[in-house]
Amino acid sequence: MSPPPPAARRTRPPAGGRVFGALNVLGVYGLVGGLFALGCAISREFISPDNLMNALRAVTLLGIVAVGLAFVTYSRHYVDLSIPGIMALSGTVAVWALKFGFVPSLAIGLAVGALVGLVNGLVIGYLRLNPIIWTLAMMSLLSGVIRWAYAGRQIYPDKATAAGRAFLELYHHRLLGLLPLPVAVLLAVAAGGYFLMRHTGYGARLKLTGSAYEVARLTGINVRRAVAGAFVISSLTSAAAGVLLTSFNKVGAVYIGGGYDFRTITAVVLGGMTLAGGRGSIVGVLGGVAAIALMNNVMSLVRVGQFVLGDFQQNIVQGAVFILVVGINSFARRRTGGDDA
Amino acid sequence: MTTRRTAAWAMAAMLGAIGGCRSEPAGRKAPADRAEALKQSLAVDVSGLKSADTQPLIIMDETPLQPPPRPADPLKLPEDDPLHWYDMEYAGWRGRKVNLPRSPGDGALGKRVICLRHMDHPYTTAYTRGMEKVAGACGIRLKTLTAGNADVNIQSQQVDQVVNERPDLVILFPVDATAVVPMLRKLNQAGVPIIASNLLPVDQGMPYVLTWTGPDDWGQFRMLAREFAKRMNHEGGYCIVRHMPGGSPFFSRTFSVVTELKKIAPRMKCFDMQTTLLEAEKTAQVVSGWITKYGAELKGIVSADDSGAQIGINEACRNAGREDIIRVAAGNSKVGMDFIKAGKLHGITYQSAEADGALPMKIAADWFNGKEDLKPVYYLPKHVITAKDVDQYMPAQW
Amino acid sequence: MTPSAPDPTRAAARPPGRARPFAKAAAAAYRYRVYLLCTIIFAVMGAAAPHFLTPGNFSNVLKGTSTNLPAAVGFTIVLIAGQLDLSVGSAMTMGGILVMGLSPSLGWAGAFGVAVLCGLGLGLTNGLLVAKARINSFIVTLGTMIIVYNAMAIYCRGGTIPATTFALSDFLQRPVVDLDPRGAPPALLWLTLWLTPRNLVSLAVMAAAAVFLRRTPAGRGLHLMGGNPQAAWYSGLHVDRYVIGAFALSGLLAAVGGAVVAAGEAAGSLKLGENSLMTIVAAVIIGGTSMEGGKGTVVGTTVALVALTALINGLSCLGAGHEVQLVASGLVLALIILYDAYWLHRRQRRRGQRKDLLEELQARAASDPPAGRGSQGAPSAPGPGREGRSHG
Repeated sequence: MSPPPPAARRTRPPAGGRVFGALNVLGVYGLVGGLFALGCAISREFISPDNLMNALRAVTLLGIVAVGLAFVTYSRHYVDLSIPGIMALSGTVAVWALKFGFVPSLAIGLAVGALVGLVNGLVIGYLRLNPIIWTLAMMSLLSGVIRWAYAGRQIYPDKATAAGRAFLELYHHRLLGLLPLPVAVLLAVAAGGYFLMRHTGYGARLKLTGSAYEVARLTGINVRRAVAGAFVISSLTSAAAGVLLTSFNKVGAVYIGGGYDFRTITAVVLGGMTLAGGRGSIVGVLGGVAAIALMNNVMSLVRVGQFVLGDFQQNIVQGAVFILVVGINSFARRRTGGDDA
Repeated sequence: MTTRRTAAWAMAAMLGAIGGCRSEPAGRKAPADRAEALKQSLAVDVSGLKSADTQPLIIMDETPLQPPPRPADPLKLPEDDPLHWYDMEYAGWRGRKVNLPRSPGDGALGKRVICLRHMDHPYTTAYTRGMEKVAGACGIRLKTLTAGNADVNIQSQQVDQVVNERPDLVILFPVDATAVVPMLRKLNQAGVPIIASNLLPVDQGMPYVLTWTGPDDWGQFRMLAREFAKRMNHEGGYCIVRHMPGGSPFFSRTFSVVTELKKIAPRMKCFDMQTTLLEAEKTAQVVSGWITKYGAELKGIVSADDSGAQIGINEACRNAGREDIIRVAAGNSKVGMDFIKAGKLHGITYQSAEADGALPMKIAADWFNGKEDLKPVYYLPKHVITAKDVDQYMPAQW
Repeated sequence: MTPSAPDPTRAAARPPGRARPFAKAAAAAYRYRVYLLCTIIFAVMGAAAPHFLTPGNFSNVLKGTSTNLPAAVGFTIVLIAGQLDLSVGSAMTMGGILVMGLSPSLGWAGAFGVAVLCGLGLGLTNGLLVAKARINSFIVTLGTMIIVYNAMAIYCRGGTIPATTFALSDFLQRPVVDLDPRGAPPALLWLTLWLTPRNLVSLAVMAAAAVFLRRTPAGRGLHLMGGNPQAAWYSGLHVDRYVIGAFALSGLLAAVGGAVVAAGEAAGSLKLGENSLMTIVAAVIIGGTSMEGGKGTVVGTTVALVALTALINGLSCLGAGHEVQLVASGLVLALIILYDAYWLHRRQRRRGQRKDLLEELQARAASDPPAGRGSQGAPSAPGPGREGRSHG
């Protein structure tokens, strides 16, 4: 169907509105529920707490990065392709900075990541460069800089020092002996992100900036600062995830964080955020992350005699589900009279 | 900022980037008299050099090569038959050669050698370090190029560039054992001597090279499989974490284990083999899926990498409380050796990156000195590192 | 608050009509920036890198360019139509692996045919999902990229498929006029060494696409559709068919490119198109195609690809490591888009300034008492959609 003439307006509710209305409200959690049911049907071990914890652990860092990227997508700036570079840089710099102590090293790692995000934000927000191309160039630069700075080696936290040992234990640390630190960080980041997006002026400004940039600008909102802020937020979460991932890998290397760029945008879009901006929520993003976790888990538990779903087959299913879910989402939105962005 | 100033900064940046290029070992200039050059070159002795883990730098496996007879069509055999993989495992053993260039015979001083590596990785950094040590000692001028991020197209372009530049010898670390065959043929037809390194090209490519040096992936993993089977008491189920697809360890570190265990421990069963792109998180997720699915039947896990992938495996085992699972991997990085000391990993293969880089350079120097009767393949010694001898291999090279 | 609103009082200080020095040169430099970039890179590399300015190396640079060229042309076409096609790399891999895998059973012609048809099928799928199901092209092509790559991985079982003979590969890589490199005069070598069938196929693709985009109604329609979809719809263009057609072309060309590369290299590898996407995107942007659509040329893309390949090649000749190549290509891309943004900014600042209106204003200001800023009625803030389209 071609774009309808602007003057047309529906005067009665569209057919099928109730089904799609329900889909609209449930969003990705409909998919999560469906996967849950499928998992229970496929395997008895699915419902065990160990298995669910494993599924959660696999996507904790993905969730942290996704919450940050959600702000970038919310502002209609597509994606931040320099996320893997920021993760590797923060982690590597944090390991290098361990000589200053454990807490300073974390602070320095996060600061370096935020600095890269600031550069991204300034260039994309103020100079209005295309985000995909700029972050692509930045990724290339970061990758080259990390390799050059460490002459192609990877650096290890020094186990002889207390700071090094603390860093190696960081990923496995449990707050109050119970809650794994990455999960705690995810919860904190998610809560903070939700609050920021829904209940602060910044979130409201970002929403308008994402939905209608020109209107926001003419309203007097400092759109450039809002967009720059989104990139800083994204880089902060990436830096945090990068430091945690480096701690998990026990080494600071340039390949840390590889693959995160496309996986994160998959999670964000699956969770109901549209690339057109201004729509979606952090709750949805968490749902998208949970959907990915459950999909991986369910598929890896498939065992029909000798037949198992190999890695390639799982990826194909993920890609197909991704397109399907987004298609259904946008179709449902259009059917219920919403904007079909 | 005006356009002109921006342009000036751009030029400065580019020139700075060019100026910051890594400089190559300069090599020594050879004396004009060929006999004198040869005498000086022969006087160089590299046998005393050591690598960063205090092991000797120049090491090789001296066992004689005795390939089994080749079946008529290996690919028609089933995958768990070792002879299916004949052209990969015994590539070059029969030593047919085509159009080999003759040695100039005037020593190695001042010779230009280009090394084409497959990618930038801490392993290849150590590899080049070893190569540069020998090149420096022998007075060879070494230039090292990297094929992007294991990009076959870039390696092909670099091979063309080498044909254009005509160095005295090329050391080629292939990105892919099959795709490298036409490249070897092109170099051979241009008359450039080649020593292939680390990744064994498939048999069709071996006639074009002087020789190949590197770790014996198939042989070492068979050794590792025997150690694995011993620890598992020759029974139980196991899974394999594979290397990256599109490369040769994807097969060599998987099917060597499968075929060997089928032979020596028929009661052991391979449940699954998956690639996880050597990422720690993905490996953790896949292995915890295995543990949930196969439960107590899963008794062992073989891994193609002892750093990133092994971290994921150990994480999954720890979370599931299954520290009883027997784990072996391909080594030997610092992370892997630390795991061995901690008892979380039971055996890794010994693969000295520096020795891997030093050996082809030593063979090249020998060839320049006139030694033309080279073995078809030179393997590095095979060894499985366990907790008993891991301290001898510290500090790790990468 | 409106940054582009011109200040007539400041403009009045500069006499209207006086050309700024170098204005024309600067404008020309911007218009032909990709050629300028290519020349600079060749000059710098030629001066600094040994063996760079040799016929053999020039042939290598063109060979490297022709590897990604058909897919880049396809990507340009889709981008001009206002959409993104992230699956070009996977389509190349698909073309390469299918050609190699099917050639023993179907022969070369049959294998090529199947590979091309599969590329066309992929493109049609992308186009249908974007046009009819109205899913964002970024999403659709991200999904199909993953699906196609993994489907090919299953087909070739993770291994590389070798060619059965070297005959086709030799044919594709040997120059059409085969001179002995050592005997022939250099001038002739410069002309003939790079004229290999493999390069010729890519150049033919580029030429056909250039003609299509510039001279045919369909091509002009693509430009219109990318630049202003509303206007295109109002003019009666079947917008959906254009979108589907653009994607179909992109898939087809990428598969052709991959098939030719694999046949030329005598091996179909899973890694064939792995790094192509980023290179292609960089080249297309540097070549002047706009991310918003409606503007761009395949010649610009080609020259940009040549420039990027020459940069990497030159750094290789210098023996520079991979990290230097990464930083250099990232810097070049960043600088070009910064330059673009700077020029756009300048153009927007001037858009409101019309010389005749300015003269009238100044005349009025000279005769009437100063009426303050409220009297500026003529120059208006940039219309809706202009600033908003600056980021795309």
